[in-house]
Amino acid sequence: MAEVLLKDIAYARSGDKGDVSNIGVLAQDEKAWEIIRRELTPEAIKAHFRGLVTGKVNVYEMPNLRALNIVMEGALGGGATNTLRYDQTGKALSTAILRMKVRTDG
Amino acid sequence: MKKVRLGAGSAYWGDMLEPAVEVAKHGNVDYMGFDHLAELTMSILQRMKDKNPKAGYIADIVPWMRQLLPIAKANGVKLITNAGGANPEAAADAVIEVCKSLGITGMKIGVVTGDDIGDRLQELRDQGLKFRNLDTGEEDIDRIADRIVAAHAYIGAERIIDALAEGCDIVITGRCSDNALFVAPLMYEFGWKFEDPYWDKVGAAITIGHVLECAECATGGLSNMWDQAPNMARIGFPIAEVDEEGNALVTKVEGSGGLVNEWTIKEQLTYEIKDPTRYMMPDGVADFTRLKLEDLGNDQVRLSNMGGDARPETLKVQIGYRDGFIGEGQILLPWPDAYAKAKKAEEIVRERFEIVGLEAQELRFDYMGVNTLHGELSPEPSCDLNEVGLRIVAKTKTIEEADKVRREGTHLWTLGGIGAAFGVPFKPRPVIGLWPTLVPRSDVETKLTVREV
Repeated sequence: MAEVLLKDIAYARSGDKGDVSNIGVLAQDEKAWEIIRRELTPEAIKAHFRGLVTGKVNVYEMPNLRALNIVMEGALGGGATNTLRYDQTGKALSTAILRMKVRTDG
Repeated sequence: MKKVRLGAGSAYWGDMLEPAVEVAKHGNVDYMGFDHLAELTMSILQRMKDKNPKAGYIADIVPWMRQLLPIAKANGVKLITNAGGANPEAAADAVIEVCKSLGITGMKIGVVTGDDIGDRLQELRDQGLKFRNLDTGEEDIDRIADRIVAAHAYIGAERIIDALAEGCDIVITGRCSDNALFVAPLMYEFGWKFEDPYWDKVGAAITIGHVLECAECATGGLSNMWDQAPNMARIGFPIAEVDEEGNALVTKVEGSGGLVNEWTIKEQLTYEIKDPTRYMMPDGVADFTRLKLEDLGNDQVRLSNMGGDARPETLKVQIGYRDGFIGEGQILLPWPDAYAKAKKAEEIVRERFEIVGLEAQELRFDYMGVNTLHGELSPEPSCDLNEVGLRIVAKTKTIEEADKVRREGTHLWTLGGIGAAFGVPFKPRPVIGLWPTLVPRSDVETKLTVREV
């Protein structure tokens, strides 16, 4: 079974609205796009972020940009203004998703 | 074909001035939009206004206008800003003072108000509005009613369009959506309306606004391109040249730092959005999944085939309320055994909290250098680290309890293991909770006042 780290095939940037964090995951090429749209399921992402994300995870496809938009609820310890986290707006969550191992061979 | 050039001037309260000056001077732009507001900002500004009726706007507007106005006037650039914050009238007074001190006359300043609904909450509740919390689902604001600091609606482009139609050179708003600062000049220049068949055009304007509103975040800031983007200290803010069909060429001033390419624009298009087929703004709804993006090289990205849908009948309102305090302490522990020292310091401070009877609603420990940013996802360190920080932070109901956290943090200077180093202790800070909700558009009456200097 072939596996790579997401960081080797995609870019990511995260932002916040209230206690919701969204991560734009950008496939670096067409092959990477096929991998991320198959592997980055809400269930896989929720499992990856266990402990950091307490709410629902939605994944939206943007095929025109070869991008996924991942929307995670309960992701910031209460939201930027009252979270106890150092990373109040969850900017580093973009890099945390890049730790995911994804299968390349379907 | 008619073209309009828009430039970004600011992404947040405290952003850099030099790139804005560069766009005004060398960007060959018709309009610049300056966003200074974030979700928390309005509550901070409202509290400033409560203490001083002449305050409550983004004070940066004074030094900024001092530099920008002479250039904007010479180059015919119109400036649209939400630096009015909680007090757009006072911001306009300040800008008029700047004009007078510079000897600039013949300027029209549009002031947009009506976003502040703080004084009208009771009236609207009496009419039956519940202010259901969009995040938590709580049905009404009873729980926080006596702690509300501010309530502002995110208003759209309408009154800015009116101001431009009246010939305003500067438009100052309060909690206008960041996006509308860019939607307004496009709709005004191209005669697009809030009705069929213009919703695709409005959607295009919203998309372009979204690309520009975070300024340097579209040109290599906050980017995976961090190691490729050149000359970041002299980053250029983004510029969009938009045609009357609603297509845009995104670029920056030639020779400025940073980067515009496929990746920087994709990063921005996916930034802080939910459903990308329905990016909802007060002026309309944009669909980011239809557009075509072409990287033309030389810091030029073309966006075409943008579109959208009709504007919502409700406006988002952000209510800020007092929500207790946060107390924080930090120490930094050195090699050898830095991580073990930090773990022991946590045990000690936990026991100290029991001794002094800390009442905290939430308590958190971070090992800085180990797990502060990736939390539970962080692997254990595989070597004896040079240094590890212990961060202790708690949420409390009172400032006295929050101060216990600071105090016990300082005791770790002696109890926390040999070599413990400390910076400057943190003061307890008040917390503003945010309560996002919706109100019918018809309940928010916006107003334009035109002033002349």
